[in-house]
Amino acid sequence: MASDRVEYLSPEAWSQWHTELLQSAVNRAYNRVPFYRKRLEDVGIGPDDISSVEDISKLPFTTMEDISGNYPYGLFSVPLRDIVRIHTLRSGQPNPIALGYTKQDLKRRTELTARFFRSAGVKEEDIVQICLDPGMSLHGQDLKEGAEFLGALVIPPDPVSVLSRIRVMMDFKTTVLVTTPSYGLHILDTFKEKNMPIAALNLRLMVLLGETLTDDVRETFERELDVETRAAYGIFEASGPTMAYECERKNGLHLALDHVIAEVIDPVTGKVLPPGETGELVITTVTARANPLLRFRTGDITILDKSVCSCGRTTWRMSPVTGRSDNVVCVRGVKISPNHIKDLIAQATGGRNLPFVIVLGKMRHLTQVEILVAMDASFFSGSLPELHNWIRKTEDLFLESLGIRCRIRPVEYRSISSFLERGDVIVDGDMVK
Amino acid sequence: MLHIRNLSASYGPIQVLKNCSLHVDQGEIVSIIGANGAGKTTMLLSISGLMGSISGQIRFFDRSIKGLSPDKVVGLGIAHCPEGRQLFSPLTVYENLMLGAYARKDSDTIPQDMERIFKLFPRLKERIHQTAGTLSGGEQQMLAIGRALMARPRLLLLDEPSLGLAPRLVDTIIKTIVELNQEGMTILLVEQNARKALEISHRAYILETGRIILQGRASDLAEDSEIKRAYLGKDYKDLSER
Repeated sequence: MASDRVEYLSPEAWSQWHTELLQSAVNRAYNRVPFYRKRLEDVGIGPDDISSVEDISKLPFTTMEDISGNYPYGLFSVPLRDIVRIHTLRSGQPNPIALGYTKQDLKRRTELTARFFRSAGVKEEDIVQICLDPGMSLHGQDLKEGAEFLGALVIPPDPVSVLSRIRVMMDFKTTVLVTTPSYGLHILDTFKEKNMPIAALNLRLMVLLGETLTDDVRETFERELDVETRAAYGIFEASGPTMAYECERKNGLHLALDHVIAEVIDPVTGKVLPPGETGELVITTVTARANPLLRFRTGDITILDKSVCSCGRTTWRMSPVTGRSDNVVCVRGVKISPNHIKDLIAQATGGRNLPFVIVLGKMRHLTQVEILVAMDASFFSGSLPELHNWIRKTEDLFLESLGIRCRIRPVEYRSISSFLERGDVIVDGDMVK
Repeated sequence: MLHIRNLSASYGPIQVLKNCSLHVDQGEIVSIIGANGAGKTTMLLSISGLMGSISGQIRFFDRSIKGLSPDKVVGLGIAHCPEGRQLFSPLTVYENLMLGAYARKDSDTIPQDMERIFKLFPRLKERIHQTAGTLSGGEQQMLAIGRALMARPRLLLLDEPSLGLAPRLVDTIIKTIVELNQEGMTILLVEQNARKALEISHRAYILETGRIILQGRASDLAEDSEIKRAYLGKDYKDLSER
């Protein structure tokens, strides 16, 4: 079936197809991944218990802890020789997570990203510039390959300043800008501050991902830059950056139902919620060969809409993500968890468990992360040069590990004790001043 | 066109198909690929009403055909060309073809259909009065397909049409299947020659010990490392053709 035509299948056809895909995905996971077999057996479920797509709710959840706990190869369902690419990411757990892809997996991701670009009207003649932080390089790579697949000219993300990026945008007459909403605003502000002529831009489309695109930010881009906007949503663990994307009607993000089955659950009870109710997005990959995921808890809070969109597509839509079900924060598309920070501080202090708070402030629309680390006598020797040296090294470690720059500020315990006593590990910048 | 949900089938205590779901859309060639004993033939027998002990749903154009007798299934438009051809050896080519039209009520269009089959397989016309038992393997396969077509099916089930044929004849049969499909015939194909089957199919299902473990576009499956190793004899070919 042509990849684009699939978005218009009838509900009956989806039901048949999802049942087939789910059954074979469970068969493969059960037969080839000991972790899944054990998980299913523990709850008394076997492949024969899946007789319709609704039976998906019988399956146990998979979490980030499971992916990390099975590092490096535990969740792979094909032999290593069939895997052509592996990405490893820090996870906030003791182990990193490893994501593997077969040749077919990569092809499917590229095709899906290309399908999104095509639906957004991107053509061979377009010049697509991708401006994403290094922490989103996995998405950047998929987007680059999807746009290249269509024959567009692609300018992939380079670690250069905003001014250099703007210059490239003007010199090469970029027509499609792919970035996060906050970085988009940063570009816009820089433009205005430097009195650069917006009319000199050739932009006609902005693809915004990594963060929720709010109505007022969308309106700002459309009005001030005179562009069309499309939001996309994806997670590293499944199907890439365009697992869900907006159509021309912009009333929700269409899920790539030929690759994933989506559910929304109550994050506390784990019960599946009916369409229209707010809860945590759970994803089952049905075409992934190397790294199948059964009911993966994304942590993202959304609402599912299973009605047919006015554009004619029958794929279910999810609303923009409104929050997290855990204490993970999303900074310019990069997910940061207190566990991960704790792990990094331990690494930077020779295994010490120093108390800290994560402060999120805004500077020119970009969220800035500051980590206030409470020093104690066992660690801080009193030498300021040594402390400065430590700060520099730790900031490098954070950048390398998270893909975004964080400021490290050593503080006395009493200056953060009030937050910690309330259990606030992540605080707003205004509260710290 | 054809929708199967949760089909299980067994021979006595031995379960051969386990909870299989698949569908065939109008105008498609869909293949079922699998090792010997995986349950491919049983799948076709279950659709045709030739398997006694089955559970699940089989729907053809929104009508349940599970449990219908084979002649009723043929009457609804599903013709089965079985493995090993199963011709009537003492009967002539003509008589075998006429048997294919046994369940038809519109007898006046039979000569027209027979002409169409002779156009597809001119060899059969040359041997019209010869008994089936005296035909070569390839000719017998043509006759078996011709006989199935005489039922004027909307869906043709083909079980191992290239089995035991010389490579040149395999190509002829495969070409004929494509021609039939181009004329609008929907085909569900079981074939031991997975490479050829994937070449001409739109989609395919991979059956492993009675369960469907993979499905998708045939062109994608033909490129899949695991499929290549298991069913396309890639490692062997790499060595032998080096």
